[in-house]
Amino acid sequence: MATDGPDAPRTARIPRDVVAGMVLLLIAIGAWFGLRDLPAFDKSAIGPGLLPKTVATLIGALGLMILALGLGAGRERLERFSFRGPLFVLGAVGLFAVTIRPLGLVVAGPLAVAFSAFGDRNSRPFEVVVFAIVLSALCILLFKYILRLPIPLAPFYLGY
Amino acid sequence: MPEFFDNIALGFSVALGMKNLSLCFLGCLIGTLIGVLPGVGPVATISMLLPLTYGGDPIGSLIMLAGIYYGAQYGGSTTAILVNIPGEATSVVTTLDGHQMAKQGRAGAALGMAAIASFFAGTVATLVIAGLAVPLTKFALLFKPADYFALMVLGLMLAVVLARGSIIKAIAMILLGVLMSTIGRDLVTGDERLTFGWNEIDDGIDFAVVAMGVFGFAEILRNLESPEARDVVRQRIGRLLPTAREFAQSIMPIVRGTGLGAFLGLLPGNGAVLAPFASYSIEKKLADDPSRFGRGAIEGVAGPEAANNAGAQTAFIPLLTLGIPPNAVMALMIGAMTIHNLVPGPEILTKQPKLFWGMIASMWLGNLMLLVINLPLVGLWVRLLKVPYRLMFPAIVLFCCIGIYSIGNNPLDVFLTAVFGLVGYILIKLDFEAAPLLLGFVLGRLLEEKLRQAMAISQGSVWTFWDHKIAFGMLTMTGLILIIAALPGTRQRRETTFSD
Repeated sequence: MATDGPDAPRTARIPRDVVAGMVLLLIAIGAWFGLRDLPAFDKSAIGPGLLPKTVATLIGALGLMILALGLGAGRERLERFSFRGPLFVLGAVGLFAVTIRPLGLVVAGPLAVAFSAFGDRNSRPFEVVVFAIVLSALCILLFKYILRLPIPLAPFYLGY
Repeated sequence: MPEFFDNIALGFSVALGMKNLSLCFLGCLIGTLIGVLPGVGPVATISMLLPLTYGGDPIGSLIMLAGIYYGAQYGGSTTAILVNIPGEATSVVTTLDGHQMAKQGRAGAALGMAAIASFFAGTVATLVIAGLAVPLTKFALLFKPADYFALMVLGLMLAVVLARGSIIKAIAMILLGVLMSTIGRDLVTGDERLTFGWNEIDDGIDFAVVAMGVFGFAEILRNLESPEARDVVRQRIGRLLPTAREFAQSIMPIVRGTGLGAFLGLLPGNGAVLAPFASYSIEKKLADDPSRFGRGAIEGVAGPEAANNAGAQTAFIPLLTLGIPPNAVMALMIGAMTIHNLVPGPEILTKQPKLFWGMIASMWLGNLMLLVINLPLVGLWVRLLKVPYRLMFPAIVLFCCIGIYSIGNNPLDVFLTAVFGLVGYILIKLDFEAAPLLLGFVLGRLLEEKLRQAMAISQGSVWTFWDHKIAFGMLTMTGLILIIAALPGTRQRRETTFSD
């Protein structure tokens, strides 16, 4: 997985499907670990473990197949992962999750918009701030006052 | 036949109520508004607008949601023609000739023909739904748990075969979705499954959380990485009404596309996605001069658009009669119905005839509204297309956050959606499709429930799938489809169908 720099290679060395197969294998193993205590059969009926264990086994088998096929010559390489987008966009969602209860939409809204905007390297700070405030105001109007969703607005000031 | 007209009349009496009519209009308008934005497909549009429908009564909410659905479809075609960016797989075909027409200054005719073709297809599809709903529901009521299980397996297999990309990977995604659906407390025994001791996810993960994560957020991350070359048409839009000659050229493609789409949409596994591709290649083969295709042939817009819209609507049939969503959008519909405590399936028609027929009548009204409101608003859509992505995606993020929070007033859901956004991003990088994952996730719980019921009835004997002839037939078909799909010849043909 390469860094975000402009001179970083477009692709990593590993064939994409080898990674894809390994990911599936890991999921299968993890699932088996999580399901280890659940019986597949429960007296004469199906137990809680049968379907998930079967499915996990099949996922593992398909993972092996994809891995093996990915080792063949001329396969596509793994594309590089970027950090900027996931960090800011998903970080903004996390910020919203943390702030919505204690601080309400008045704070969580602009924060999420402004923070996520930096996921794009062409974002312009002044524009972002104005847009975050206007958009949040519109959302408060729409969701709180028109649709009356029970979302906290400004608990620290209004109490709801 | 009198029953048929009674039902339709009942439907219109519900759909023409002032409130439902305005909700239908609002849904169509907002759906188009968001669907027009480049890089925002129907799934993202619907998952984003889902919270708008939480407040109302079930009928009004579903009418609005259905409106959002065709609105988003229609908006996608507009973007395909004017910007050459398909909002989803099915509008890829529209970009081929539609955008060429736009470059030649005939955007108006392309948009107009797309609207007319969609309206015609929508009308026919609505009649097909109304005609098939009662017999199919009666058939569905005969289904025993074993048959349901087999039908779902068949539907999932069809969805795999009809999708593009690697079959092995698509099957793996379906299975992963099924595995994810087992997370939480087991409904029969009460055992915790795959929670790894984390009590907060005992009730399982909400479908909307998964959908918005792997579709909404992951799509944003993908778009941020590959800045689209946006090619908004600068030429004049031109007259919206196609000429008499263009009409004459398009009539038969529209009729054929409608038939094709209506039939393929009926299949339990997203056949609708094939319809526009199939329509395009048929029209190209039937044309006197095939070389016109790809250079602005109006048949290349009319046929696929009709096929697309017809399929999009008849896809409601498996959902409404059998309770089985054939594609990701319908999976979202299931989620929306669950929020209103409605269980999709044959009971909807038998126990809630008002809701059922009201929704069907509103489908036709929605199509009519789209025809009337969209063409005069073309200027507005063109302006919307110029909204830069750097402003669009933060707005999508905020809408999704508010929507997810409002499902259960639980910040943890918002957080989990971010996690699924990351999962979706990794899946994109590894070339896995998210749609089969969502289908597997939505069907997983039902699949296990029916399997357990079937096995409980048969007291643990697998032979029950042999005894139930419907189930046996469908499982055999599943096996055959898998074998045919794995044959090298079919694999090649499949690739050419999608790349044509």
